[in-house]
Amino acid sequence: MATATEAIKIPRRDSVLAARLRETAWGYAFVALPIAVFGLFFIYPFIYAIYISFFHWGILGKQSSAGWSNYHTVLHDPVFHTALKNIAEYTLAVVPLTMALGLSLALIINAKIRGRPFFRSAFYFPSLASSVAITTIALYLFSANGVFNQIIGSNTPWFTTASTAIWAIAGLNAWTTSGTVMLFYLAALQAIPDDVYEAAAVDNTSTWRTFWKITFPLLRPAHFFVLVIFGVGALKLFDQAFIVSGGAGGPNYATTTPVLYIYREAFHSFEFGIAAAAGVVYFIIIFALTVVQRLTVGRQQAA
Amino acid sequence: MTTQVASASVEQSFVPRRPRSEVFRRVLVYLALAGVAILFFAPFIYTILTSFKTIPDSVNVTLMPHPWTTEAWKQIWTNYDFKTFFKNSIFLAVVVTLANVFLAGLGGYAFARLRFPGRELLFLLVLGTLMVPDQLRLIPVFVMLTNWHLIGNFSGYILINLVTATNLFFMRQYFLTIPKDFEEAAKLDGAGYFKTFWRIMLPLALPAISAITILQFQGTWNDFFWPLILFGQGSTHLYTIQLGLAELQFTYSTLWPQIMAGSVIAILPILLIFLVFQRYFISGVVSSGVKG
Repeated sequence: MATATEAIKIPRRDSVLAARLRETAWGYAFVALPIAVFGLFFIYPFIYAIYISFFHWGILGKQSSAGWSNYHTVLHDPVFHTALKNIAEYTLAVVPLTMALGLSLALIINAKIRGRPFFRSAFYFPSLASSVAITTIALYLFSANGVFNQIIGSNTPWFTTASTAIWAIAGLNAWTTSGTVMLFYLAALQAIPDDVYEAAAVDNTSTWRTFWKITFPLLRPAHFFVLVIFGVGALKLFDQAFIVSGGAGGPNYATTTPVLYIYREAFHSFEFGIAAAAGVVYFIIIFALTVVQRLTVGRQQAA
Repeated sequence: MTTQVASASVEQSFVPRRPRSEVFRRVLVYLALAGVAILFFAPFIYTILTSFKTIPDSVNVTLMPHPWTTEAWKQIWTNYDFKTFFKNSIFLAVVVTLANVFLAGLGGYAFARLRFPGRELLFLLVLGTLMVPDQLRLIPVFVMLTNWHLIGNFSGYILINLVTATNLFFMRQYFLTIPKDFEEAAKLDGAGYFKTFWRIMLPLALPAISAITILQFQGTWNDFFWPLILFGQGSTHLYTIQLGLAELQFTYSTLWPQIMAGSVIAILPILLIFLVFQRYFISGVVSSGVKG
């Protein structure tokens, strides 16, 4: 009996090891290509960007060492300051607007209405449609003699006037992304147990009061989730700003966002070093904001 | 559902005023719904109608074209070469989507199920890529692809988009939910790792595959940033539909019927896919968002 099990054990240990090796080999084989893509086009460029930022670097490649001068140029460039101001204004406008709109849509859909799947899809669709096409359509509708102006009796080209452009983009993007926010709020609303509302109904609480006293506070995790995701997303505004300004970020830098600034430094001024430095600076700014946000939101969620 | 109905009727017997406020509330909801629906549909309907207008007619605020004409459509399709842009967009979206499904599936499966040294470390690298924003890797990636002579054709774009960390993560999370019994059965049958993945696991992950297929196709189709950087400097034969539309709008900013027809073409394929597969879109967005 004892010798029999030992006789079986020896080849088994061997095959266990062989199986382990085989599993390891296949594991590496399976992840090899994805890891190569991530390493080559994400992780390595991260380091390479920092490297480029310390050189005078043109379309033909490296020219000379630049020290900190690219960073100095970016940090003292009034256009970069304008870009930061624009994106701050945009983000502070678009995020609350999108949340309010998204939550309103979710509440309408969540009230037992007819044709609920249809309306849910209809409200969600603009989030999926091409940003270039949506912006182009908006340019038409809000042009000097477009429909909107003819209805309200004005002739302001909303997207191409310096004082209104960034707000017009904020309005447009609140409209397009509200459908996605609506989906997150719908999921959160449906997770609220019915008995909470039944208690309110027994107390004969008004709909308005029920919303502010019960629903809105219970949606807190959803508020924070949407705030974090769409807050960071808003900071990357590019397509819409590019389309309304023909890629120039105008008029008078009113639609220059940090990402557009980086693009223009690279592909209009061919200052790759400065563009890379701006990329690093903006990365640090977003990173710092994210950390602050996680700390405050994390604390609030725990409370 | 039934408990709600029951409790509502119980309430009614105690609080007789409730039905009227309920009716009022429903009227309010439907009014809001109608208003919002107009806000969401009107721009698209107006866009489609404008694409059938003549140029002078396109500045009139009339809903119906007078006269109807398909001139704008013919012009952009042939003269402005939207035919080529459309083909380019379809090609890139199909290739990138197929590569993503295969590689995200393969990688996701390995990270979920196979045990190999350094797995956790490599997975951290995958998650780390989510931290690297496009505006930071833009310059180095452009420099690298230029040095490798991958600008001037589609290969560079395809290469940098072969697989995304989001898709791989999504697939891994889905594979983690599939019971191990299936693989063990396959192993007993003597199936190898690739065969187990390809024949057993991938078909089981169909809901996840559907979600990333649709979202990736939509993402590549709508992509403007990378095509602009990689193809925007060169000749128009590499333009995608989004680039072509942007260029049309910059160059001929008053040809509204043409521009609107172009916008419809840029949106239409995604609308059709959405109409057929909407449940995957919605579940994909919510679950990837909640988990991610």
